Amino acid sequence: MVISPVHYIAVPLLAAFTIPLLSKYIHKELARIVPGIVLLYSVFVSIVLMMQVSEVGVISEKIAGWSAPWGINLVFSPFSGFLASLMSVVGFLIWLYSYNFKKIEQEQSQKYHILQMMMVTGAIGIVLTGDIFNLFVFMEITAITAYSLTSFYRERDGAEAGFKYLLIGSFASVMILLAVMILYTQLGTLNMAEIAQKSHLMPTSIKATVLVLFLIGFGIEAEMFPLNGWAPDAYSQAPGPIGAAFAGIVVKAGVYALIRVIFTLFDIHGAYDFLIYGGLITMIIAETAAVAQTNLKRMLAYSSIGQMGFVLIAFGIGTKTAIVGALFLMFNHAVIKSLLFMSGSYLTYNSVSKKISALAGLGKKLPIVSILFGLGAFAIVGLPPFSGFWSKLYVLTAAADQNMLLLIMAILAVSVIEIIYYFRVVSTLYYGKQEEEIEVQKPSINAMVSMLVLGATIIVVGVYPDIVTNFFDSAADMLLDKASYIQAVLTQNIN
Amino acid sequence: MQDFEQYNSIITTGVYGSAIALILIGLYAVLIKKHLIKIVIGLSIIDAGVHLLFVAIGYIKGGTAPIFSPGNEDAAQQMVDPVPQALVLTAIVIGFAVTAVALSLVIRLYKHHNTARIDQIKSLKW
Repeated sequence: MVISPVHYIAVPLLAAFTIPLLSKYIHKELARIVPGIVLLYSVFVSIVLMMQVSEVGVISEKIAGWSAPWGINLVFSPFSGFLASLMSVVGFLIWLYSYNFKKIEQEQSQKYHILQMMMVTGAIGIVLTGDIFNLFVFMEITAITAYSLTSFYRERDGAEAGFKYLLIGSFASVMILLAVMILYTQLGTLNMAEIAQKSHLMPTSIKATVLVLFLIGFGIEAEMFPLNGWAPDAYSQAPGPIGAAFAGIVVKAGVYALIRVIFTLFDIHGAYDFLIYGGLITMIIAETAAVAQTNLKRMLAYSSIGQMGFVLIAFGIGTKTAIVGALFLMFNHAVIKSLLFMSGSYLTYNSVSKKISALAGLGKKLPIVSILFGLGAFAIVGLPPFSGFWSKLYVLTAAADQNMLLLIMAILAVSVIEIIYYFRVVSTLYYGKQEEEIEVQKPSINAMVSMLVLGATIIVVGVYPDIVTNFFDSAADMLLDKASYIQAVLTQNIN
Repeated sequence: MQDFEQYNSIITTGVYGSAIALILIGLYAVLIKKHLIKIVIGLSIIDAGVHLLFVAIGYIKGGTAPIFSPGNEDAAQQMVDPVPQALVLTAIVIGFAVTAVALSLVIRLYKHHNTARIDQIKSLKW
């Protein structure tokens, strides 16, 4: 059997339709086993394709035999492939973590795992597709599953958070649809490579309009200020592993779409400055808001928004070092923030308020989970032996090369703020006085395995950053080299 | 023929105008109305406006259906562009799914808070 990028999308879609039947007629347990098998298969596909891509360059897959400008195609380049692999690995670990997740009865568990699988699939689709309208469709698949997962718990305020997310998300989808429509009237094509090739034919005013519509639409998914009102509520009301999935998967897809539009479709220089300013404002406001939070998950959510701002800054600087740094940041954020959400949701397992003060003294009761949380906290603020340090170093080096001293000052100042609020949590864990007696929940074995894998990744990448930077290097080259993207997509399909 | 041209341009303006009017009406409902159901209706109206706009741009005056038939191979100039219509079909299905999710969330909210007015649901900070 030939492995191709289509498997990322076709297999989960087929599985999503058959799972309800399988679980009804064969065995109930299949509802949560099959999504895991599918996600594991995606990981396998990633490994095979990443090996192929390092030899071939770009894999462009045409669907249903229609060649590139006319049909829909999937592009597995070092850049999109890296993100797709990251998403499938994190998606699988999240499945493993939530395999026997709390309070999910059999009936609900069935929906939960299908939705989680579809969310990963939608995000991978966003990253792989080469067609702008197809990107919109995958964005909606991701968004609809995200709305339903946000409101998964009936007893929490999930419905409110979900409805808020839905309102903002629908607004985003209208903006994206309008932008796609204007692009189509101007250029008569929906293929991203062809749009990139022809985009200089558009008048600047229309180009700017389309760009603004796209920035609003994708900025909402990428949690860019001031479009991120949905994020703190969605993160805090959704089930714990879904918070990890938002941070590790959904937001990454939004950032990818934003970057693809700015770097490949339109090469307007002002857009890079816009990324820097937008990212800076997002980062400063979110990190300051994080200090004021008393709820652990809300704090993690604001921290996640801040990190995304940092990623946007790194992309905005636009040099190769900066883009390697940005990809490294995305990788780190996916790994570390998932770990923080996973361990955090065991730490606040039986507390009703989910307040940080409720964590007091848990360091002795849940030693391994607490150590993992502490590891994540140290890594995300960028302490040297862990992976977070290298990504920050890359971005700061790139900023220093461009003489952006104010930017460096801002990033370092924000790092101090990060240290304040993360270390506050860690010190509460170990030195805090316990106020109320809370029964702790011991993590199940599969959750422990998935957290330990993430924790080990942080340490291994921190000690040997070279094992991942090679991938980032070729991915950054691919992103900056617009011509080779166009060529790879449009010529491969002629024969 | 003159009449036909004039008639056509009125139709075109009418279609574009009503599409934009629909989008604005929908935005008004989403932003101003306090009732959750009305907000969902507003979302659907915005969607409808965008879809109408989408179909309108693919239209050609006096165009024919985009089917090649023997003897009419050079008819491509007069064909209505089928791509926007295909896109709109997809967008309608997506809009339907979003509306369904939105309505189910409204039901959930109503059961949880015993009201469907957005200004009375304030357990989360906005």
